[in-house]
Amino acid sequence: MTLWALAWRNVARHRRRSLLTGGVVVFGFAAFALAGGFMAQSLEGLRDGTIRSGMGHLQVADPAEFEDGSAGTLEHALSRAADVDAVLRADPDVLEVLPRLDFVGLLTNGSRSVPFLGVGLDPLPEARTMDHAKALHKGRWLRDRSERSVILGTGLAAALSLGVDDPVTLLATTSDGTLNAVDATVAGLAQLPIKELDDRFLATSLGLASDLLAAGDRVSKLVVVLRDTAAAGAASERIRPALRARGIVAAVKVWDELAQFYSQVRVLYIGIFGFMGLILVAVVLLAVANIMLMAAAERTREIGTLRAIGTRSRFIRRMFLAEGILLALLGCAAGAVLSLLLREALNHSGIMLPPPPGATHGVPLHVRVYLAAYAAGAAAMLATLALASWFPARRAARMSIIEALAHV
Amino acid sequence: MGQRDNLDGPILSGAGLSRTYRLGSTQVKALRGVDLEIRRGDFIAVQGPSGSGKTTLINLLGLLDRPDGGQVLLEGRPVGDLDDDALADLRRDRFGFVFQTFSLVPVLTAAENVAYPMALKGRGGSDCRQRAVDLLRLVGLEARTDVRPDLLSGGERQRVAIARAIANEPEVVLADEPTANLDSETAAGILDLMRDLNAKRRVSFVVATHDPRVVERAGRTLVLRDGRIVAGA
Repeated sequence: MTLWALAWRNVARHRRRSLLTGGVVVFGFAAFALAGGFMAQSLEGLRDGTIRSGMGHLQVADPAEFEDGSAGTLEHALSRAADVDAVLRADPDVLEVLPRLDFVGLLTNGSRSVPFLGVGLDPLPEARTMDHAKALHKGRWLRDRSERSVILGTGLAAALSLGVDDPVTLLATTSDGTLNAVDATVAGLAQLPIKELDDRFLATSLGLASDLLAAGDRVSKLVVVLRDTAAAGAASERIRPALRARGIVAAVKVWDELAQFYSQVRVLYIGIFGFMGLILVAVVLLAVANIMLMAAAERTREIGTLRAIGTRSRFIRRMFLAEGILLALLGCAAGAVLSLLLREALNHSGIMLPPPPGATHGVPLHVRVYLAAYAAGAAAMLATLALASWFPARRAARMSIIEALAHV
Repeated sequence: MGQRDNLDGPILSGAGLSRTYRLGSTQVKALRGVDLEIRRGDFIAVQGPSGSGKTTLINLLGLLDRPDGGQVLLEGRPVGDLDDDALADLRRDRFGFVFQTFSLVPVLTAAENVAYPMALKGRGGSDCRQRAVDLLRLVGLEARTDVRPDLLSGGERQRVAIARAIANEPEVVLADEPTANLDSETAAGILDLMRDLNAKRRVSFVVATHDPRVVERAGRTLVLRDGRIVAGA
């Protein structure tokens, strides 16, 4: 009769108690798995949303552009943009390279002017790889890189009482310091998640922006979209030396270096879920420890017998720990099944969640199978059960044999 | 301590054994300087009124408890300095125990209960099982080998306990009121079994009892009163 066989017999014999303990573990594990899956899904959604909101996986610009953040002046425009583009497109992980021209200016409807934050872009590849078009509230997306139309944030449009197809004039300072103006038509209105951005957002074709700024073929930066987000780090490591080899001075930033908001939300999520996890572990620990202590107390005489006939204290301690671990393993297995069933039910429930940070619309509740959460849940439950078993095991092992035998 | 080389001398002895328990603020002197010797093949009944120290004496001799004064000697060697693990090993290898309440492991079958001390000693699984079945046959329970204790009668449980007690071929079996929870007929059967093992296998028995039939059939009787041996030392 091995330690584990004996532990299994005891678990099977005390069915009610095992079910009670196992039940606590089942729900503890399922809570871990579901909460972890929900957190992973939320963070993944936020990550993808951040990348597809225009940030891309990588950004390549003049090093000074990243350092002093003087966006909109072309002071630190990317030199040799065409060469950089060629290097980027040669990388096997690169799906698309998007030129961007960032600028600031005034938008006027003829009677009133409002400042804006503008971006000139190549509309078709942007539409394929970014979520700009999804943010459209009215009208249409831009058709080509020379179109003389603009997309306005709904807040900016409202400030000037503009609608789709209305004429507007863009005023900006060119790279050589001259004030310039171009006429355009409002092609569409986009609703952006952050109000301050929505009140200032303007997107137009790269051609129109270049004309306004007299930028020629210069761009502020190149935004790179990769085939796989996970490849971002490796791709940047390949691209940096490739650029240097061509004598190009440019900085390459990976999305997570630029996405401060994502990083802050991630830390916040980890903090919240970590705290909830700790509370969950504490609840499971207290519940299980109480049950295990009762179990040890009920089996006092049996422990006395085992020790009387020559069982060492260490074996008694291990026996209780083995029972705890067995219950944890069984509970985790059942908890995994329960969490998968609950996940299916939740994912098909149609429950809408409030807008996540940085979003304007609610999202349907979706919990993914996040293996790390399952592993963390199993580890937490195993550790909790082992800890909960430790004290009764220690008590049982240290019990006086004659007192245990006389226990009623 | 593992060698069994002291064939002529006492297997087990107590010299000046004292034990005091604390019950709340009261100190109870359960044993007051008891001396005794147990030789191979002895069948000793320890008699005395409740509270006279019978169980305490069995506990000290069986290394289940440590004396406050005096010492227990196994084949002439004191065991007081041994640690708990060493004492556990001695109990496993050199002693057998039979308790009033049978004290079988409830999750194990009769055969598994008997095999348990052998497994603790490191004996192989099939070997343990075969010897356990043989021992159960010896105590008349060959048909109940795979039955759990809760489905056995009191007499059957005590027979399993006796089979378990002799599983590792101990020199001494210590029995504390082994017939107290049994009806007369069953008690007589248990007593016959112990006597038979004592005679045929030369296993020494020390039996704490109130039962006059045990006293009648014992080779030697010690009478304890107030923690002292008052007769039969």
